Formats: sequence, structure tokens, C-alpha cells
Amino acid sequence: MTIATKYAKWEELAEGAERELTVGPITRTDLVRYAGASGDFNPNHHDEIYAIRAGFDKPFAHGMLQGGYLARLLSEWLGPDSFKNLKIRFSAQAWPGDMVICKARVVRQYEEAEQPMVEIEASAENQRGDVLIKATATAAPRS
Amino acid sequence: MPLDKSVLERTFPDFEFRVERGKIREYALVLGLTDPVHTDVEAARAAGFDDLLAPPTFVRQFWHENTENDPMPHLGYDPKRRLHGEQEFEYHKPLVAGMNLKGQNAIVSTREKEGRRGGMMTFVVIETRFLDETGELVQVARRTLIETAAPPKEA
Repeated sequence: MTIATKYAKWEELAEGAERELTVGPITRTDLVRYAGASGDFNPNHHDEIYAIRAGFDKPFAHGMLQGGYLARLLSEWLGPDSFKNLKIRFSAQAWPGDMVICKARVVRQYEEAEQPMVEIEASAENQRGDVLIKATATAAPRS
Repeated sequence: MPLDKSVLERTFPDFEFRVERGKIREYALVLGLTDPVHTDVEAARAAGFDDLLAPPTFVRQFWHENTENDPMPHLGYDPKRRLHGEQEFEYHKPLVAGMNLKGQNAIVSTREKEGRRGGMMTFVVIETRFLDETGELVQVARRTLIETAAPPKEA
């Protein structure tokens, strides 16, 4: 298998190594595109009147949109097929106009059955510092 | 509306689908993924994949192929009080375009707890297992769906 060199090298993934990705501001078009790409047509994410009747101020982003941004950060850092698992917990909504600031950190670097592995803690926040999602992942980095 | 307990007795038929290049590209572009393994077949092959590689959260689009095989619409949840609380993925082998996958849905756990502002919150975990044509496990997705006690005014 060809090993791409653009992913982080093992020595760059020591405990405490960090990576950030800022996306946004999120637009309503992003929400509609994500609905189409994911097949999730929950009206809270595109129908103003429906969302207001459900108690929200306006439509908000699918949690998996922020989850996807965070997964993108990890994928571009560690390699797109490096994941063993990824667990995302949704804390707060992201609204149109919000920035999504994704941060990830290596909390453990180890070997499992001679396979180099890393354990990651990650989060996404908006521009006000509110946590939108938290995530953990284990991955076998590509390089 | 409390959980419709009869859903726990139900089984949900397997569903089958083909992983398409166009959907992989679309999903990657929406998230801004710049890695060409998701959009350029030659780059994907050069990196050792049989075809375009699906982004890590791609299987999201196959959770509810139709209402028969997805447990979610049968939970009895009020859609206006339904939240996606957690999402977990387990990766067993690369998911690439051209694969014919089989999906199997099951409810793997349920619990209720008192909400902060009174009333009961319900938590249901739905597991979807994705198998390839040889029956090998490709990915597992587990989504925790919450019905809140009252309409969520703020997060």
C-alpha cells in the first residue's frame, strides 16, 4: 500500500500533540446540502416555521454536520482509513452564522498487537466558546 | 409521549444498498474534505483503495433507507422532542464505492431518567451493522436517540 506523506508522522503524534480546524460561518445552504448528502430531512434543520413551533429560534445544524467537520480534522491529520472507533456526544446546537472550531489532542500513544495506536480527545466549539460536541477516537495512524 | 415498548419486540428487516461514487463525493464536498481519496478514483487507487473511500461518518445516510427497517419512526417519540444525543462508529474495514452492503438494525438498549426540569427523558440506542457481500463486518454505527421531557428551548 502506498503510504501518503501528508498525514502526521508517528513522531508528530506524541501525547499532547494538537490540531485545529475552523469551519464557517455555517450557512443555511450548508444545512440543506448536508440534508441532501446525508438523507436526514428532519424539518428542524431547514423549515423555519416547523423549528419555531418546536421551540427553537430558527433552523439549526444537524449534529452530524459538526461531527463530520470534526471527523474531517481527524481524517486529514491521522489518515482517512486510520480510525478504529469514533464516539461523538452532542452538547449544543450550531446555528447559521456560527463558526465551528474543531480541536483534537493525542491523549495516549501506544502499541496494540504491534500496531502503533493513538487515543484522541476532541471537541468542537462555536465562536463564543460554547462546546457543541465532544468526541473520542482511537486510530492507527497511516504513517 | 413515552417509549412505545412494543418496538422492543420487533425485528427490522435487513436492507441492501450499493455504495455510489457520486454520494461519496457529495458527502466529502459538503464537509470540505480535501483528501482526494474521497473524490478522485486514481488517487484512491494510488493510496491502496479499490475505489473512492467513504468519509468516516458517511454511513449516516443509510440509517433509514425506509421506514420498515429503521427503528426510529417506531419508537413513539414526538419528533419535536427528539434529539440525537450520541453517535458512535466502529471501523472494521475500508468502506469504498462499488461495495454492496447489507445493513442490520436493532435496538440494543433503552433507559429512562428524570429530566432536569421534570418529566421523563427516554434514551434509546439503535445499532446498525454494515456487512459486505462475503458477510464480513465493515462498520457498526450506534446512535443514541433522546426524547426530551419538554421542548428544548435552549441546548
